[in-house]
Amino acid sequence: MKKTTLIWSLLITLTFFAFILGYFKVINNFFVFLLLITTFLKSQLIIDYFMNLREIQLKYRILPTLWIVVVLVLIAIAYYLPII
Amino acid sequence: MNKIKQLYPPGDFGVWIIIYIELITFGLFFVGFAFSRRKEIEIFNNSQLLLDQRFGFVNTILLLTSSYFIVKATQIIKRINTKESCHLAANYIVSAIGFGGIFLIIKIIEFAGKYQQGINLSTNTFFMFYFVLTMFHFMHVVLGMIILFNLYVNTKNGLYTGEQHRGLESGASYWHMVDLLWIVLFPLIYIIR
Repeated sequence: MKKTTLIWSLLITLTFFAFILGYFKVINNFFVFLLLITTFLKSQLIIDYFMNLREIQLKYRILPTLWIVVVLVLIAIAYYLPII
Repeated sequence: MNKIKQLYPPGDFGVWIIIYIELITFGLFFVGFAFSRRKEIEIFNNSQLLLDQRFGFVNTILLLTSSYFIVKATQIIKRINTKESCHLAANYIVSAIGFGGIFLIIKIIEFAGKYQQGINLSTNTFFMFYFVLTMFHFMHVVLGMIILFNLYVNTKNGLYTGEQHRGLESGASYWHMVDLLWIVLFPLIYIIR
């Protein structure tokens, strides 16, 4: 049960980091990348430890992970691809 | 020693089909938002300045904590099987419902503020996405809270045990999905610019 509290604390810390960046408007290309990485980490923590998918067969566990990877990669492409 | 992997995700398989469909639907909206922004970067960045990040931050904390309470309730039911443990788990679930309720109140305050400023769905593309995404998510929170209330009643009545807790796991999985969607929505709408 202590592990769950640790995961929750980590999620709160990463959320606070995102909020600070947004609140003080210190967003640049590097921080957008960092935000996408932390969003992936937070999502994976929820998938593995809150949804409890870490102990099930890979074919079911991989679906939400694949979802978050595809969504975040497409968001990154939309943000970083030069506008012609 | 290697742990034996479970065959299926926790809860009913039907709820996972719903979860996968919801993830795809919201995923399309998220990607649609990001690519629409490319066409109107100035409008999106200026409109985002009208949002209060503090609302988004507090709401993220509320949903994460609410999800955490549901994990605790599920763990208690799975490990211990007494009247006291059912009572404790029910308390965690009712706290999760409370946090969900505060989330909805904050969201209503935020929506009301925007309408008072004359901002609505048709103001521009950014606010169209903002209202559609957050209102769609809002409805999922409402449905999640109804499910959680059902879980609360069943838990309080001792219907879930260490061996039989599939209904609890199904409801919990749905609530975590609501949380997962907000985890992507918060930085996308409120922070990234």
